[in-house]
Amino acid sequence: MSNEGCELDMTPMIDVVFQLMIFFIVTIKMEADINPDIVLEKGPYGPIIKGEDPRMLVVEVDRRGSISIHNAHMNTQVFKQIMRARVNRVGHNFPVLIRGDQRAKHADIRKVMDICSGVGIWKIQFAAVKQYASEM
Amino acid sequence: MARKKERKQAENAKLEMTPMIDVVFQLLIFFIVTLKQEDILSHLDVTRPAPDPNAKPEEQVKDLLQIEVYARGFTLRGRRVGIAELDRQLTRLGGISKNISVIIKCTGDSPHANLVQLLDVCAKAGLQNLSVFSM
Repeated sequence: MSNEGCELDMTPMIDVVFQLMIFFIVTIKMEADINPDIVLEKGPYGPIIKGEDPRMLVVEVDRRGSISIHNAHMNTQVFKQIMRARVNRVGHNFPVLIRGDQRAKHADIRKVMDICSGVGIWKIQFAAVKQYASEM
Repeated sequence: MARKKERKQAENAKLEMTPMIDVVFQLLIFFIVTLKQEDILSHLDVTRPAPDPNAKPEEQVKDLLQIEVYARGFTLRGRRVGIAELDRQLTRLGGISKNISVIIKCTGDSPHANLVQLLDVCAKAGLQNLSVFSM
């Protein structure tokens, strides 16, 4: 009799559990396709990257000058072919964001920019850190 | 008789709470531990003119400012300046007109950090007409 008295109602608990699960699943970001070794320079005055444009191409240049897209490293020839194919497919208007390591030499960044302008993309964006997560 | 059986079934159908609470806490701990706050990123937009030296895409522009980026600093109109001095000058110029064309020339051995610092100062001054060349 006393056991039955302290029986819990499960329904609100299950509600809360599902709410929590949905919240975390929706907010979790799977960004395994960026190179975590790249250290970006601080740029607090640039506009925030919203990442709303699905056509955006992120090109990474690490401190040794190696070019990669989605963590796949490539030489300049392959990068040029990729850019040509992409321009043929979606046109010249997609945004290109260069995530260049702060220690990378401009000569390496230049290779990426030259290939972009070579296929007709004049507008280039550079990524910088507006605010570090540790400062929030 | 039938009522007795019904009550027995209802008692059997009671759920055990303990494993469920265990799973909930496991999930909570997992998500809290794996939740990592990301850095907020900004983008600095530039124009990269054609690499072809014969191409002259832009017409003659009136307001033109040339800044060179070297491995150890910057020069503004041929004069060696630090980033603080550049900040002052560009903020002053940005106050006059936002449409000044800024030509940025980088040497190959300059670190990318210098270019980003300069672009950030330009963004602070509100200058948007930025072209990056390589030397």
